[in-house]
Amino acid sequence: MDSAVEIQNLTKVFRPQMGGRPVKAVDEVSITIAPGEVYGLIGPNGSGKSTTMKALLGLVAPTSGTCRIFGADSLAVDSRQDVGFLPENPYFYKHLTGAETLAFYGKLCGLRGRALKDRTTELLELVGLTDARDRHLGGYSKGMLQRIGLAQALIQEPRLAILDEPTAGVDPIGSRQIRDLILSLKDRGITVFLCSHLLEQVQEVCDRVGIIFRGRMIREGRLDDLLAIEDQTEIILRDAPADLLEEIAALVAAREGASLIRSGRPRTTLERLFLRETVEREKP
Amino acid sequence: MSAATTTAYRPLNPRRILVLARHTFTQLVRMKVFYFLAVFAVVVIGANFLELPTDHLPENAGTEILYTVKNTSLGCMSIFSLVLAIVATGLLLPKDVEDRTLYTILAKPVPRLDYLIGKWLGVVALIFVSLMAMTLLMNLVLIPHTSKVMELQIGAAEFAGANAETKAKIAEDVRALGPTWNLQAAVLVTFMRAMVLAAVALLLSTFSTSTLFTAIVGFLVLFIGFFQADAREVYFGQDTGLAGKAASGIMTVILPDLQIYNLIDAIVEGKVLKALDLLKVTGITAFYCVTYLFASWLVFARKEF
Repeated sequence: MDSAVEIQNLTKVFRPQMGGRPVKAVDEVSITIAPGEVYGLIGPNGSGKSTTMKALLGLVAPTSGTCRIFGADSLAVDSRQDVGFLPENPYFYKHLTGAETLAFYGKLCGLRGRALKDRTTELLELVGLTDARDRHLGGYSKGMLQRIGLAQALIQEPRLAILDEPTAGVDPIGSRQIRDLILSLKDRGITVFLCSHLLEQVQEVCDRVGIIFRGRMIREGRLDDLLAIEDQTEIILRDAPADLLEEIAALVAAREGASLIRSGRPRTTLERLFLRETVEREKP
Repeated sequence: MSAATTTAYRPLNPRRILVLARHTFTQLVRMKVFYFLAVFAVVVIGANFLELPTDHLPENAGTEILYTVKNTSLGCMSIFSLVLAIVATGLLLPKDVEDRTLYTILAKPVPRLDYLIGKWLGVVALIFVSLMAMTLLMNLVLIPHTSKVMELQIGAAEFAGANAETKAKIAEDVRALGPTWNLQAAVLVTFMRAMVLAAVALLLSTFSTSTLFTAIVGFLVLFIGFFQADAREVYFGQDTGLAGKAASGIMTVILPDLQIYNLIDAIVEGKVLKALDLLKVTGITAFYCVTYLFASWLVFARKEF
């Protein structure tokens, strides 16, 4: 079976039109993403994440190397039938309503009639914008724009979703909704290739990650493998009495070579606390 | 992937182009471009009260108003169509890049040629609809005025004891100054000129990222276009050799010769537009549009975002 994404030795050099030094934005980057996988590309600003994504979409031509989507050259138009793309900070056409936006992108992909209407309704429901379907995008909040952007990316039922900073500028509630949407894509078997600055979110949704720095891929692998600390073990107990904890500490101390590094109450994250005190408080 | 599906991704897919053209049309309509029609209505109604100087021979009695309405209407149509062709076309591409909506469109299975043609057709459709509305209003104003002038002139002829043949000739002459098919052809020529300018603006906007640059250069091309036939005459003259002819030809292709559309003025004067002339203008318009769209595609196909 073809890989969903196969980027091989991608190099992109931008040559300024008015002379000046060429800039190597991406340097010999190779990425392979299996179908159904969620892959996160992380790196600081200007590290080459967006250029890699644009090369994969045919928006920039590689200086050298190749990009393939399900086996098709990404510079070929037909490869894009299988791709949905959400750019960073998308604006879309403010004069269109949510439903009209989806209909426009759907028609570009060849959808018509009943199939298009059904797909539009289905996606508006998926991204939680059914109530805002007839509102102009000019009146949408940042989070709503990201969600309609995600819906347009999925309009032709692509097998691959490419998301560039899907939660940029979105509040924690909107961010959580988008995270849940990404997880639902994964459940549907859609391959997701995303880049984000929100490392915690990447950690929550991605199967594999790549770290890109100054145009070069410096680390890549399964998230569990990359994050696991080989020589440490974590035990989390519920309602453990003090004497049990003392017994465990004593047992560890008695064993040669092992040591107890830390014990105490695990902390929740600030995001979880925020969501518990806002969204979940409103639930009956 | 089936053969039918693959065919759908080839450039020049009419349905996809239509989707883009309709969207561009809607986009411009919602930018309230049609407000110009209200201005046009005021100008045409105002033209009813204007009197342009004409010769005051008895046989021309009352015809001033017909010239005034036609001149002001076609003048407004020219200004509107040319400004819209340059500014609206020049605005669309940079705006799509700036808003990143272009990314989402090109990330779909949309060939870049289809995108360009769709944008151009959207602007052209808007100009067409606007010109149709203006033409309707112009005709509605001209019809009663033509009847009045005819009544006036035939009355004067009867008073002078003219025979039936003379009266028929007078009626024919007055009708020629009214809302004739010839006058509608002048609007068509105005439309064709705007099509060419829109194609020029599209080409400019493929390598410019600023609407201002496109607009300034677009108006410069327009200005040169009105005078380039004279300039060719001055520089290359009649007795030029092969090199001169080639240079003259290249100049005509690079910068559109808009003097070919000057037959609008002759039509306003009541002269009959020959079918061959209209065919020639149509052919040249098609040549310019195809050339500039093709050049736009050559630039845009290699453009990186």
